[in-house]
Amino acid sequence: MMEWMLWFTRFENTKPLSLVIFFLVFCGVLFYLFGSKTRSETLESHKNIPLQDDEI
Amino acid sequence: MATASVSTAGVGTSEQYNYDIIRKFTIMTLIWGAIGMFVGVYIASELAFPFLNFDTPYITFGRLRPVHTSGVIFGFGGSALFATSYYVVQRTCQTRLFGGDGLANFTFWGWQAAIALSALGYMFGYTQAREYAEMVWPIDLLVLLVWVSYLAIYVGTLLNRKQPHIYVANWFYLAFILATALLHIFNNLQVPVKLFSLESYSLFSGTQDAMTQWWYGHNAVGFFLTAAFLGMMYYFVPKQAGRPVYSYRLSILHFWALIFLYMWAGAHHLHWTALPDWTGTLAATFSIMLLLPSWGGMINGIMTLSGAWDKLRTDPVIRFLIVALSFYGMSTFEGPMMSLKDVNALSHYTDWTVGHVHSGALGWVAMITFGSLYHMVPRLWNTPMYSVRLVNVHFWLATIGVLLYITAMWISGIMQGLMWRAFDDFGNLQYSFVESVAAAHPFYVMRAVGGIFFLTGMILMCYNMYKTIRQGSTAAHADLNVAAA
Amino acid sequence: MKHDNIERNLGILLVFTMLAISVGGMVEIIPLFFIKETVEKVDGVRPYTPLEQRGRDIYIREGCYLCHSQMIRPFRDEALRYGHYSLAAESKYDHPFQWGSKRTGPDLARVGGKYSNDWHTQHLTAPRSLVPQSVMPNYPWLAKNELKYDDIQDRMKALRRTGVPYSNSQAEYQRNVEEFGADVAKTLHIPDAEKNLVAQAQLGNYDTDPSNITEMDALVAYLQVLGTMVDFKKYDDDYFVKFR
Repeated sequence: MMEWMLWFTRFENTKPLSLVIFFLVFCGVLFYLFGSKTRSETLESHKNIPLQDDEI
Repeated sequence: MATASVSTAGVGTSEQYNYDIIRKFTIMTLIWGAIGMFVGVYIASELAFPFLNFDTPYITFGRLRPVHTSGVIFGFGGSALFATSYYVVQRTCQTRLFGGDGLANFTFWGWQAAIALSALGYMFGYTQAREYAEMVWPIDLLVLLVWVSYLAIYVGTLLNRKQPHIYVANWFYLAFILATALLHIFNNLQVPVKLFSLESYSLFSGTQDAMTQWWYGHNAVGFFLTAAFLGMMYYFVPKQAGRPVYSYRLSILHFWALIFLYMWAGAHHLHWTALPDWTGTLAATFSIMLLLPSWGGMINGIMTLSGAWDKLRTDPVIRFLIVALSFYGMSTFEGPMMSLKDVNALSHYTDWTVGHVHSGALGWVAMITFGSLYHMVPRLWNTPMYSVRLVNVHFWLATIGVLLYITAMWISGIMQGLMWRAFDDFGNLQYSFVESVAAAHPFYVMRAVGGIFFLTGMILMCYNMYKTIRQGSTAAHADLNVAAA
Repeated sequence: MKHDNIERNLGILLVFTMLAISVGGMVEIIPLFFIKETVEKVDGVRPYTPLEQRGRDIYIREGCYLCHSQMIRPFRDEALRYGHYSLAAESKYDHPFQWGSKRTGPDLARVGGKYSNDWHTQHLTAPRSLVPQSVMPNYPWLAKNELKYDDIQDRMKALRRTGVPYSNSQAEYQRNVEEFGADVAKTLHIPDAEKNLVAQAQLGNYDTDPSNITEMDALVAYLQVLGTMVDFKKYDDDYFVKFR
């Protein structure tokens, strides 16, 4: 019943699988960052945080 | 002191933040910097002029070298990271450090004790013989305690933040704290000789031990000397430039790509060794990919100045920060190139590696630290720098020092690699090993001179800081207000 | 999941960061313990004798690994200069490994047997008396310091806990006789450690001064065994290639 797990022990299977997973995650991050205009504006607004602490 | 001036000017001062701990770590950064770099110059001179070993066990090259590396990495770099991370996390979260003065002070005294004791230990021959992790097991345990407290302080402070968003500099500091804990624990699995012995044997052996050590060794560079100092960069470059970072979205991409990719790259230190080929190939692949986030981060930092390039001419602190980023870009290009198997076949075991490390350590780590301290100290002691001119002199001494150092090591490293593999017309080795040692001598002298330049700059900085601190005050704005009145 | 949470929720940031930094190390390190081909199957490699192990401790104490590698790479020039490339099996009892990362001096993986004991003693005491261009420090104290070996049994027991087959019982001794032969098995027996150490030092007379046992005896005994355990005449080169 655990036969299907053996599929993961073979390099020729896991190499392309991990490549696909990592690449999809990367695309996901890219889409999140640059995919929506409103979200982009929210994210970019955070860059002012260091300048908001009070200067002496 | 008028209450009115305290209440209006009290924001951003000791009243609101725990600056005392930052001041302590800042002073120790300067002291360890001077000591560590002095030892570095000394051992560089030993390689040029071996009589300097003076037939004394405690100061031979083999025993002093870890004193130099842990003095500059953990003493200078580590103290700078504690100081700046405590500064950044408090100011970007607008809250005091979690755990109160007691816990923060424990991280200070524990860390300083670990560095001082391990340095003494190395001179007396107590070492685990793992590069950059030479500390014996009782000190490893002390470091672990300090590190857990550091994590608790950092996470606790982030939880108490007044600001809904955690600024990206803190992500880098946090990843550095987590990764260092992970690396420290797994690279220091040791079996002590007996309960009251400082000596121990590593749990793993041979190939597995080598892989664990260089997984640690490379990520000590990746997280201790890169990710954490990028946290410094993401706060102090925008602060000193007076403009926000170029792209916040790029910094998020930079963060995730960098911390994910770095952890794979360690095995490129073991090309052509008895480590299986697949591990090295995987590591080389990831090392090449690492070029992208590294340069993304560098561009993000440098472009922060876009539209204000004139600051490079007028502000020596900005110059430190931007030159640091340039060296970062250069060594993160050189690194992936050296991780290619064919280049590595030439460069490995030679001075080229030493030069590469120092273009990162002096050019990037030390320069960004200098810039950050020159920004931070006037704010910690409520006074302008004693002498901006000396800051300028320091900048040029440091820059010339780094350039001399890495040029010398490039030449001697490539020369060694070529001499070792040279054949004569009959297919015999053209040079004996010791001929390559003799040929390196002038470059060892040149390297030591470069080191002297850098050390002189460091000592000037200590003097400048001493004078600044003497004229400053730790009371909340007391002197400034008196002066204004 | 909304990515916005990652910046706002510290817990999620911590978990994702831990995930991102754990994958690489796990994929590269854990298989090394399970893939059989990582360490070659080869005859002759044995744990160090008590005297050699003490010599190794001194090698570590003096930081020799910072200037000398013990890892010969599979290149023609290294084969001519140092000998057959190093096998993983040859450092399987090395706790810690001493492959090194820098050759300020030459590789030492196969230095054993290349020079006489006299040469080593003289060279360690005053390297430039033999090699004028050398930049190695003098180690005159090695020949003066008496070797401390009262804790040799503790050391062997600690190494045994890491997996080195030193024997502490008759059964373990028998197992070593089968694996390494009786001559070697005797030197790996923990209860006889001091006796074996003294015997080897007196028989080998490594520091050329028979009157006492010094740190020089131990260090030279260690240097003289480096790279000598495997008899490469017994194997053709194709045999090792399949493990790489």
